[in-house]
This record gives sequence, structure tokens and C-alpha cells, in this order.
Amino acid sequence: MPKKVRHRKHHRGRMKGASKGQTEVTFGEFGIQALEPGWITARQIEAARIAMTRHIKRGGKVWINVFPDKPITEKPAETRMGSGKGNPEKWVAVVKPGRVLFELSYHDAEVARAALDRAIQKLPIKARFVEREEGF
Amino acid sequence: MSEIVLPADTSRATGTRSSRRLRREGRVPAVVYGLGQDPVSIDVDWPELRRALTTDAGVNAVIHLEFDGDKQMSIVKDIQRHPVRRDVTHVDFLRIDPKQDVTVDVPVVMVGEAKAVTDADGMVDQNLFTLTVNSAPDAIPNELEVDISDLTIGDSLRVADIALPAGVTTDVDPEETVAVGMITRSTLEAMAADEAAEAGDEGEDGEAVEGAEDSADDAGDADEAADDE
Repeated sequence: MPKKVRHRKHHRGRMKGASKGQTEVTFGEFGIQALEPGWITARQIEAARIAMTRHIKRGGKVWINVFPDKPITEKPAETRMGSGKGNPEKWVAVVKPGRVLFELSYHDAEVARAALDRAIQKLPIKARFVEREEGF
Repeated sequence: MSEIVLPADTSRATGTRSSRRLRREGRVPAVVYGLGQDPVSIDVDWPELRRALTTDAGVNAVIHLEFDGDKQMSIVKDIQRHPVRRDVTHVDFLRIDPKQDVTVDVPVVMVGEAKAVTDADGMVDQNLFTLTVNSAPDAIPNELEVDISDLTIGDSLRVADIALPAGVTTDVDPEETVAVGMITRSTLEAMAADEAAEAGDEGEDGEAVEGAEDSADDAGDADEAADDE
């Protein structure tokens, strides 16, 4: 989550269309690409990172391309409607289709694929394994 | 190398709807510009384009665009793809003069095996995947090889270490890093966890091992947060 924010509470916003940037594997050799829009919470990002790093054990490098900078408010349970907006409860990253969320550099493609598949299981949206595009 | 000829059509209407119609028909909207001449909107056949760009020269192939009874020498300047489907939606062709050098991005390929790095549980982190070079159109290298056999942990290969073919130059800073031999943070965490597990085995029971793994992960989180800043 961010250290300092200008506004404590955000509007929900919309997630129309596809991602405008970061749609290719840039840093590593393999990656996870979002196939549908959604909010990914800080906890889900961290869970995916841990799943990935535990599987590769040693020798790999991970890049996280999304940052949860949007606060999400929730009203307490059994509260009547009204009395203003709820309290900030979690932080999310807004993701649109095509966005490469995580990248991984690892010498064994099979293990890298398995690690990223495990990370995909931790995400709330459909996502796929992608490789760096070389040539055409 | 045989000449790559790509027939193109100049009769296309511009705009979203006509471009989508073209794509449905298996054609790719494109534009050709450069050499001080006016830009021309064209469209090319998708299978023909794929054939032209999947030779040994890759996307840096010199293509002779054939339209309006004329042949224009060009290279691909930019390719736009759909972010999810990855199909080509538009291509920019740049007219080139056979007598003038062109500036292109050539893939950098690592060759050899960095034994010293892999034996120490490290990895070779490639930072530069393409190098921008100036070359004559008929002498554009397909790829540039960089030998990583002598790489050690903490050592790096720089642009100056890449052997460029004769007639090929680059304006990139020679000190820019191409690849570095390193032990990653996750490896260090795993090593710390292993050491803690061994210490735990020697000490009391297995609980110490899990605690050590968790603390290793926590250390990783702190590092990630530091990186994000």
C-alpha cells in the first residue's frame, strides 16, 4: 500500500477496455497476463509472489508489475445505509485485460511455468502464462 | 539472400470501421513513410506479411513494398498488436535509402554456459535484450551474440563486450550493462531457510524450521516493499 495518499477514499471507477501498457514481458522471460478486468488486493499479490518463490526455491528472479494504490472502503456488518462512505479496509491494483502482472526469470522453463501456474491460482481473475516475444 | 517483395494496396479508406473490415478480410492496415516523402496508407495481406517477417532476418528484414506500379525499399519501424489476442493490428513501414545507414534494434543473444555462476546457485540476469545499431540496409545482423562462459558472480558484461560485425556501429553507451551474474534475493532467502532448518534440526524440534521459513518470507516482503519505492 502507498505510504502517503492525497485522498483517503476513492470512487470505484470503471474498467472498460484493454490495458494500454505493460502488455508484454519486458524484464524477465516468463510472465502472467491478465485476461479479464478486476481488482487484485495487496494480499492476493503477496500470496501469488510467495507461491511463485516457494516453487522455484532458488535461482530465479521475480518482478511484480502492479501496485495496490487504490483504497477500497467497506461498511461494517449490520450497519444501516447512510451516514457517509465506509472505512478504508483494503488496497487493490486495478487490472485490465492484457496487463502482465508478474514476470519471472528462471533457467528451467518447465519449473517456471509450474511456479507461475501456482501464482495464477492465487489471483481473482482469469490469467495465463506468457513468454517473452522474440522476433515476429 | 533473396529479395523480399510484399504486395500492398493503396486503395484503403482510413478510419476505425474500414480498418476493422480489412482485418476481418485477412488484411493488415499499414502506413509507409520516410525519406521526406508523403506518408501513404496501405494494407497488406496477413499471410504474406508473416512470411516476409519470419525469415532469418526477423523483423529487421528489408522489404520491397510493391504498390502503384512502384517498388519501395523499407523496413518495419513499428508493429501494433492486440494486447490479449496478440494479432497484428497495424504496421509502420519506414522507407530506406540503400546507400544510407539505418538504425535498427537487433536482438542480443547469450551464448555459452556460465559455469561459475550456475555452480554457485546464481543466475545470469540479462538486462539488455536488443541493441540499437546503425548499419547498411544489406548488412543488418540477424542477432548479436555475447559469450557468457567467463561470467562470474558479481561480474557483468557491457555493450563494449559485444563484438559488432564490420560496418555496424552503435550509439549506446559502451558501459551499459548487457548481463550480470548474480545471486538473487529468493536464493539468499532459500539459503537462509536451509541454514535455519539445519540449526533447528540440531537444536530442539521441527517448529523452529517453520518459524525460520516464515521469517525468511517476511524479509522478502520488506525487500519487495523497498524495491517498489
